Amino acid sequence: MRKLILLVLVTILSLELAPGQGLYSPGQPKDDGRFAASTKQVNQFFRRFNAEESVEGDKRYYEGDPLYRDRELRGKFISILFDNETSSVDSETKKQFLNEILSENYPQYIHFHREDWFAEVSAIFTYKGKREDVTLFLKIQPEGLGYEWVIDKVVFEPFKDIFKKPEGDSKGFLHPLSHELGFMNLRKAFQDSDTPEAYTPKEYSPDYLTLFLYEMKKGSIKFETINDVKFHFFQINNWYFELNQFNRPGFNTGWLIGNLVRLKPGDKESILRYIYDQK
Amino acid sequence: MKKYIQLFLLLFFATTVVSVAQSDNISPARKQAIDSLALEKVKDLSKYISIIGSKETQFSEANRVMDRAEELFAPDAEMGVSSLSRREIAYYKVRRYFERLMALNYDRVNITWYDIHYISDLERQPDGKYVGVVTVYQRFEGTSLESGLNYRDTTKKDITIYVEKKQTQIAGRTIEFWDVMLGDIRVTETSA
Repeated sequence: MRKLILLVLVTILSLELAPGQGLYSPGQPKDDGRFAASTKQVNQFFRRFNAEESVEGDKRYYEGDPLYRDRELRGKFISILFDNETSSVDSETKKQFLNEILSENYPQYIHFHREDWFAEVSAIFTYKGKREDVTLFLKIQPEGLGYEWVIDKVVFEPFKDIFKKPEGDSKGFLHPLSHELGFMNLRKAFQDSDTPEAYTPKEYSPDYLTLFLYEMKKGSIKFETINDVKFHFFQINNWYFELNQFNRPGFNTGWLIGNLVRLKPGDKESILRYIYDQK
Repeated sequence: MKKYIQLFLLLFFATTVVSVAQSDNISPARKQAIDSLALEKVKDLSKYISIIGSKETQFSEANRVMDRAEELFAPDAEMGVSSLSRREIAYYKVRRYFERLMALNYDRVNITWYDIHYISDLERQPDGKYVGVVTVYQRFEGTSLESGLNYRDTTKKDITIYVEKKQTQIAGRTIEFWDVMLGDIRVTETSA
């Protein structure tokens, strides 16, 4: 009995007190600093952006820790969170961005569980036997006891080709006294026309996600694979940035800000339209 | 000694009570303990992968190790593999991935792991389990003696971990503990 108690106690204490251990053992390759510098996960991007972990990434800082969200540490972190090799973000824009998020009176942080950030996933599906590019937009939402990623929107070119509402003279319409005829001319809209969407309101917009799911349920669309993932952030007041993964030699790699834009009134909506329409 | 046993017992049950009182929240100290446990599982996996890949491992031994390695994983776990030349993810069941590794056509294979890892926060999923990701880097070296060709790559492995509170009976008492299972693994070839 004594032995059992001791064994259990030692097991529990060792679990609670064990420091983080690596896979390293003598003879194994040593990182020359490139992997340490790389922002290896989106999670690490959040932690670095907010200064919520140590420089080495092996210690998470929580509220109450001396360096938690430390302004100086944040400044150092964020300066390495930009793609400095291929993106066209100029240094003045970066400087303005840094000044605003590191403001002493109103520092701004990014939050995993909040709105105003989402994922863009480039995927491949087969549609009627042919490989097709599909862009899925996913967002995180509370569900049950935790959170989940959900598909919010889809962009699928074959669907866009189906719904092309005619404009001007070529657009069919139901004349304004159709009601007097009991709408008998609906036959023209549904049987004689190959653009029934011409008979919809100005604000009509096809729900591609519903169509996509319907086709999938029918078996016409089948998932193949994923090509690429990126993230869009609107969480910082008056700023938009895009988070991309850079897999290349050197120290400026991993999840980095590939695009940064200062937003004027109305810009957010324009950028969202651009992202969702993939124009 | 009797006094010590009483002290141990007190500490032991206090630990259990704290665990229950904390309900399902994970404190920083608990997170650190879970990280250690997760790393142990990842270490086991890396050891198994090195053995399965080694050409000095007998077929029967490799199969036994594959069985052990599979036990680390939650059901339906998959490996998603992409390379520098092919960004699309190729999906393999864990067992299939190990079998392909074992069947690689090299005379000598050396699989080693870099001295760096990164462990994400733990996020709670809708069913109450926690999920995290451990990132490690692997170096693969394959040599073909006949052709004299060497192949070398470095892959980043993002390993899903599922963390769940479980119960067990010890000496008639119910003890709660945190268990870690491995899940899907994303394997990305790096430019290193």
